[in-house]
Order: sequence, then C-alpha cells, then structure tokens
Amino acid sequence: MNTTAHSVAPEMVMAFLDGELSINNAKAVSAHLDACQECSALAEQFRATSKSLSRWTVAEARFKLEDFVNDGAAKPAPKAKPAKPGRYILVNFWNWRLWAIGGGGALAAILILAVVIFSISSYERRVDSRPMAAMMHDESADASHYASTRAEGGLNPAPPPPSPSAVAGISGMDSLAAPTPPAPGQRDSVKGGAPPETTAPMIARTVSLTVVVKDFAAARASLDNILARHRGYAAQLTVSTPENAPRTFQASLRVPAPELAAAIDDLRALGRVENESQSGEEVGQQHADLVQRLKTARDTEERFRAILQQRTGKLEDVLQVEEEIARVRGEIEGMEAEQKALEHRVDFATVELQLSEMFSAQLGTPSNSVSNQMHNAFVNGLHNAFASLLGIVLFFVEYGPALLIWLAILGAPIFFIWRRYRRMRAKV
Amino acid sequence: MQDASRAFVLDSEAAHPTTMNDTSRSANAETPGAPETDEQLMEAVSRGSSDAFTVLFQRYKQPLFGFFRRRVTDPSLAEELTQESFLAVLRASSRYKASALFRTYLYAIGYKILRTHRRKAAFRATFLGAQPGPHEPTVESGIAAELAIRQAVGRLTHLDREVLMLREFEEMSYLEISQLLGLPLNTVRTRLYRARTALRGLLAAPAPQLNSGQAVSPEELP
Repeated sequence: MNTTAHSVAPEMVMAFLDGELSINNAKAVSAHLDACQECSALAEQFRATSKSLSRWTVAEARFKLEDFVNDGAAKPAPKAKPAKPGRYILVNFWNWRLWAIGGGGALAAILILAVVIFSISSYERRVDSRPMAAMMHDESADASHYASTRAEGGLNPAPPPPSPSAVAGISGMDSLAAPTPPAPGQRDSVKGGAPPETTAPMIARTVSLTVVVKDFAAARASLDNILARHRGYAAQLTVSTPENAPRTFQASLRVPAPELAAAIDDLRALGRVENESQSGEEVGQQHADLVQRLKTARDTEERFRAILQQRTGKLEDVLQVEEEIARVRGEIEGMEAEQKALEHRVDFATVELQLSEMFSAQLGTPSNSVSNQMHNAFVNGLHNAFASLLGIVLFFVEYGPALLIWLAILGAPIFFIWRRYRRMRAKV
Repeated sequence: MQDASRAFVLDSEAAHPTTMNDTSRSANAETPGAPETDEQLMEAVSRGSSDAFTVLFQRYKQPLFGFFRRRVTDPSLAEELTQESFLAVLRASSRYKASALFRTYLYAIGYKILRTHRRKAAFRATFLGAQPGPHEPTVESGIAAELAIRQAVGRLTHLDREVLMLREFEEMSYLEISQLLGLPLNTVRTRLYRARTALRGLLAAPAPQLNSGQAVSPEELP
C-alpha cells in the first residue's frame, strides 16, 4: 500500500484493529477505512491472518496443582531443586565435542602456562646474567690459580682453603677459620705474611647529614676550615645554584675515623640539621679473607721464584714459569690495592653532606615569561604525545606478531564456540 | 481442551485495554459480590492464602501452559516450565507489590524462565552435544493447517515471532510487550506489523510437504 496516497499508515490500521489508538485517532482511521477500499482490504487481511493463527491450539495441561506445589513449596529455593537426569544433566562422555573442547582448552592452558614459565625464566636469566658472569669469572680465576699451583708439581696438591666465611658456618670452627681483623696500626705486619692477631673490629663508617644554613657562602668557608682542622678532605663536590630556588651544596667528605665524632659536631653547628643517619659496615671478614688470599699468592710467587732459581730445564719451561710469576704478581698487586682501599674505608669515614640554603622567595618578574613557559609546555606536550604514540607503535611492532598468533590460537575456538552457541540458542 | 480464549479476531478497539493500568482485562471486575481480581488474589497469596493461589492457578494454568507449549517442542517440558513459573510466583509472593497487572507479572516470570531454559539448552547443545528434547510428532496435532501455521511462525525472526505471539496468543498490549521484551513502543509496533505482513506471505505460499509421522525439525518450529 502506498502510504502517500492514504491519510493513515498501514501500521495505524493494524494498531486500530488491535485497539491501541486513542479515541480521536481511532475515529479517523475508522472513517478512512469506511472510505478507502484498499485500506479496508488491508484490515481484512490482518483479520484473516489473526484468524488463521487461532487455529494453532494447545492441548489441555494435564498436571494439577497438587502435583507440584506440595513438593515445590517444601523446597527452600529454586536452585536447590535437583535436576532431572536425562534433561538437565545430559552428559555423554563419549561425545567428541566434549573431548574436543576439553582437550583444546587443556592444550591452550598448557601452552599459556608454558609461555608464562618460559617468559619468567628468561627474564630471570637476563636479570642474573651479570652477577653470574662475575661469579664465573671469579671462580675461573680461582680455578686457574689452583690449577697453576697443582701444575707446579709437588708444591701444594691440596685444594685451596675454604673461605673464612664458609668455614665460619661450621659450629665451633669460628676461632680457627675466621682470622681476627688487624688493627689499623698493625696491618703492615700482615704484608709480611704473619697472621693477624688483634681482635679490634674493622668498621667502615658512613654518615649522611643534611643541614639547612642561613648564610650559604659562610657555611662553605666554615666547611673548608672543618676539613682542615680534622685532617679530612672532600672526595666529591657538587654545587647547584638554580634561579629562584635554594642553592644546594653536596659533598662526599672523608674524615679520619678518630676525628669523625668531632667533625660531625662541627658540621651540625653549621645550621639546622634536617636529616642525619649513621651506619657502619663490618669489613673484618672481608679483610681477613683478602689477607689470606694475599698470603697464598705470595707463597705461590716465592715458590715460583725458587723453582726458577734452583731448577734447570728447557727454555720453554723457564718462560712458562716466568709467565706464571708475572700473572701471580699481577694478582698480588690487585689484592694489595683492594686491601688498601678497604683499610682506607676503615681509616677514613665517609660523610655525605648536603647543605641547603634557607630560601625566601622573592617577588619579581621571572626570567621566563608566561608566553615562553606556555611555548615550552606546548613543545614538551608535543614531544610527550609523539613519544607515547611512538611507544604504542613500537609495542605493537614488537609484540604484534605474537599477539596475532595467540589471538588466532585462542580466538578461533572461542569464535566457533560462540557461533555454535548462537545457532543452538536460535534452535531451542 | 482447546485454547479457544486466546483465538480472537483483531476487531474490537474496546475489548482490550490500552495501558497496563487498565485493570479491565483482569480476570474479574471489582464489583460487589463478584470474584476477586487477580491482584487481590495475589495479595491474599502474599498473606498466606492457599485458596487464593488455587484460584490463580486455575485461571492461568492453561494460558501459561499455552505460552510455553507454543515455544518449546516437548509437551512435558512445557508442563515443567509452567509448574516452575507457578512455584516462582509462590516463592516470591511475600515480595509481591501490586504495581502492575498480575497477568503481566506472571508472564514476565514465565518469560525469564523460558530464557533461562533456552540458555541452558543452548549451552548443553554447544558444549556437551546434548540435543533438544524429543519433538512432538506431527500426527499429534492432526491438522495440516495448524502445522502450516506453526511452520510459518517458525520462519519468522526470533524477535518478530516473540512480539507476534505475545500479541496474538497472550493478548498483551503494545506497552506490555515493550516492557516484557525491553523494547521501545514504536519498535514493538513496527516489528508486529512486519511479522504480520511476513506471516501473511508465508501462509499464502505453499507449505513444504512433510511425510506423515515425520518429526518437525527445530528450525521449523517456534
């Protein structure tokens, strides 16, 4: 029916027949139906369709109220109603779909688990690669040292002694295995090969101090005086003088350990102490271990030299012994330098000092105008936007193929299951 | 017994209410001496009256069974869903508030139960390979014209079919249908018009021939 030729739409005719129109609209449609044969025929078709539907009858329900109310009302909740076997629990364990879906799901879960475990393990390997390499280097150095000692023949076929820290773990062996660290004044005797006998602890002290001062220039001058008075020195200095912000002075000071307390008192007097922390590291075990290794290396060197002087052999053998002497000498010097650094850490305490100026903001025109700051912010914003966009692109470039593969592996079964579910839903 | 009360002709604009607030379609008017309305009976049920529930059950047993019977293929399943709906009404009676017609309330419960059943059945068919229940043989109806109607209705789209059946068999107003299905009122009218037009064409076309005793496939049934 062409709606443009009629004053009422076909849907209005239908609604009129259904009694869904207001009185005014119903009167208008009724009048139109009386006048328009086409719309009247349409109405007749609607009536005929509905009349034909009335032939779809339903048989009488056979159940009675008593059949289910007593049993049903006695049950506490609908969910507690046991499902009828054969209708609600219709599971055929030999059905291929059950096994396909279950197997596929288990396979996907195993794959995901494998990927996760592999990723975690590879990440841990990357994290541990540096320490492991360092450890392997140390172990190979020890092994080569031990091998060279054995190759000397008759020098000392026994394996190198365990480290004091390892032996210290055995109960009752502490006094035998862990040599007492020497006092600062007695450390020189160790170089001669004599075992240390003092029991004074070796502590490397570190102090962190933050002081807020009123007069920044005067505080710096006072700091120089303090260092000179306590025979200390500054290992590192950093001065920051930003505009419209407090000036800061950061220094890493070295102060003789006996003078530490007095030096700290003098530094506190520079201004208001904002933060202070002190710590001490016991390096006696480390030092003892180093001394023992140094002694062993020196013994080895002496044996090599004795071999070189007392025994005769081929030129090739002589050259090989000299090479070993040079190598051991290098190790000895390295350990001596390490020993000196360690002793220096004990002899000179470290003071991490930060001086901050007590700052009062000044009213005035900032060096950067508002427009300039806006411009800078805009440029930074563009940079940030570009960087974030680039990061997203890089992420998808790097992980996109893997994501696509996993999407295909996991998405395809989900898609087919969903499609089948929709189809079944339409059938039921 | 035939479901004759649901077979009607779209003829009268006065016989049917136009809004849910119109209680004239309730089973009985509120006149002195006349039986109580559905809403009054339901309030009595909420107070613990088993007689009132019996009356409601007698009034709506067959309409609700017809609602399910036309939507599922298994008669025993239709009975079971009908019983489940009445049990749900009984269990929720203490929370009942007469803000709408009881009839709408009852069919809303029935529709939810039907949706739940369809969802579970589709899940079972998808994941467990369980097939729908036994289909009713065509010989049971015995009328070729009825079979043709069922097949024609089954070929409508799901939503069009639902709107048409709610209107034709459950006699719901457009507003009630829109509230039950969660559709705008104009959408209900448009879909109903489209369903009726399509059904007219399907009924006019020659129906596919089926052998006697052959089960109707689920695709061909609503």
